Amino acid sequence: MLTEDQRDCLQETVNVAMGKAGDVLARLLDVFVTLSVPRIIAIERDEFGRAHNKFFDATTPVSVVRQGFYSSRHSQGLRGECILVFNETSYRELAELMSYDHNDLDESAETELLVDVTNVLCGACLGGFAEQVGDTLSYSRPSLAGRQVPVESIFASIATSNDRILLISISFKIENRTFDCTMLLMMPAIAVTQLVEVLDRLLEAV
Amino acid sequence: MTDPTTKLLPFIVDRVNMGIFVLDRELNVLMWNRFMALHSGKEAEQVVGRPVTEVFPETNQRWLRKKVESVFMLGNLAFTSWEQRPYVMAFPHHRPITSDVDFMRQDCTFMPLRNKRGQVTAVCVTVNDGTDAFIYQSQLQEAMVKLEAANRTDGLTKVNNRTYWLNRLEEEVCRVERHETPLTVTLFDLDHFKQVNDTMGHLAGDQVLREVAERVQKMLRTSDVMGRYGGEEFGILLPHTDLWQAMQVVDRIRQNIAAKPVVFNGTEIPVTASFGVAQWHQKLARVDEFLSVTDEALYEAKRSGRDRCIAAKMPYW
Repeated sequence: MLTEDQRDCLQETVNVAMGKAGDVLARLLDVFVTLSVPRIIAIERDEFGRAHNKFFDATTPVSVVRQGFYSSRHSQGLRGECILVFNETSYRELAELMSYDHNDLDESAETELLVDVTNVLCGACLGGFAEQVGDTLSYSRPSLAGRQVPVESIFASIATSNDRILLISISFKIENRTFDCTMLLMMPAIAVTQLVEVLDRLLEAV
Repeated sequence: MTDPTTKLLPFIVDRVNMGIFVLDRELNVLMWNRFMALHSGKEAEQVVGRPVTEVFPETNQRWLRKKVESVFMLGNLAFTSWEQRPYVMAFPHHRPITSDVDFMRQDCTFMPLRNKRGQVTAVCVTVNDGTDAFIYQSQLQEAMVKLEAANRTDGLTKVNNRTYWLNRLEEEVCRVERHETPLTVTLFDLDHFKQVNDTMGHLAGDQVLREVAERVQKMLRTSDVMGRYGGEEFGILLPHTDLWQAMQVVDRIRQNIAAKPVVFNGTEIPVTASFGVAQWHQKLARVDEFLSVTDEALYEAKRSGRDRCIAAKMPYW
């Protein structure tokens, strides 16, 4: 999907974007947010069913929220879906960070928190990434894809009309808080073609 | 500059069937369209220039402030959905007759508005009425619950059907295997039922089945599970109950059935039933053998004169 140079260039671009995202999140939430070094992986269709093994322990159930993103340049830019996988999460602490009333959190309020956090994390990370590659993004309304579901279910929903997808994974941790979540940024091959053109231009400019 | 769309835009924004309003960073209202005025009962003149939380004190100020702040800081869209937060502002809705929904369900989108330098200067909020979608979803959920119940109920007697009852038995056996609490099961069969059908007709037989099922069901605890196992044969799961306790419960049920005849078209039909009772033992080879030892006890109750309860002879005790 990517040559070694393109891949290095993408890694560099994503690293810069995530550094900025970390800053924005820290200012918004008033805590230190630690982002892992992004991993970039191409996944082939026949690997979809077991791709979760690359990222998660298979045992603990997770909550999953998805959000679509698309370039304002329509088919000429980035496009894909962002999936947030929440492992162990203290809803109380999260509610505090997001200024919710954390005393009476019912299931709806917890779901809204996850959806809201997804929107903030996606906006910060993807917005930064789009800026790096000279694009601007719009986003769909994020929606809950599963609560306390096995991790296998995350990749089970990838449509097999895709031959392969490009996946960028980033893990988030918040200092002194029980919060562990992973962002899976997935792009279909068609969007990657557009991305590659941008990367080539960036490489030429160096 | 005579572009006709420029003239049309304010009209459309004002009259579109969607709430549109604009807030600054301090939550002061900068714009308030017709939809908002109609549904809130507050005209733009009453609202513009004032903090929205002052005009609508019931809105959650702390939460809204954070939401708007996130749009300013990230320059990003933010959303709320009625699926989690039914409404942001309590508006009446358009189905006061055909639903008992309290307030309009709302999907809101918060959009950054930018100046020429790209800085976010205000937040535009759109409000979509989701009341219909909410009602459809509620109806769908109700239908699913009914369908599930219909799928597990025996049409004639209204107790659980055989499939559901057997599934529950499987589950209970799995559970006691882990927790080692006692579990007892009884199978019972109405005595000489074929004779009722043959001499008085199937309608009489149906009435007997219905009434016995209803009477027995009323005697059970909420944790007990009754099902129609076959034609005139029923089963009851008695969780957290050992054989000795179960024999007393089951014998009370037997007495209750025998105590009062079923009346059909003015004719009294005497009814009795025979019971086989068995307690789960871990040496039993799963559910099949559990049922077969219970069934043997039931057969023994029949053979030895009917209208009685017989405890299963366990091969391992």
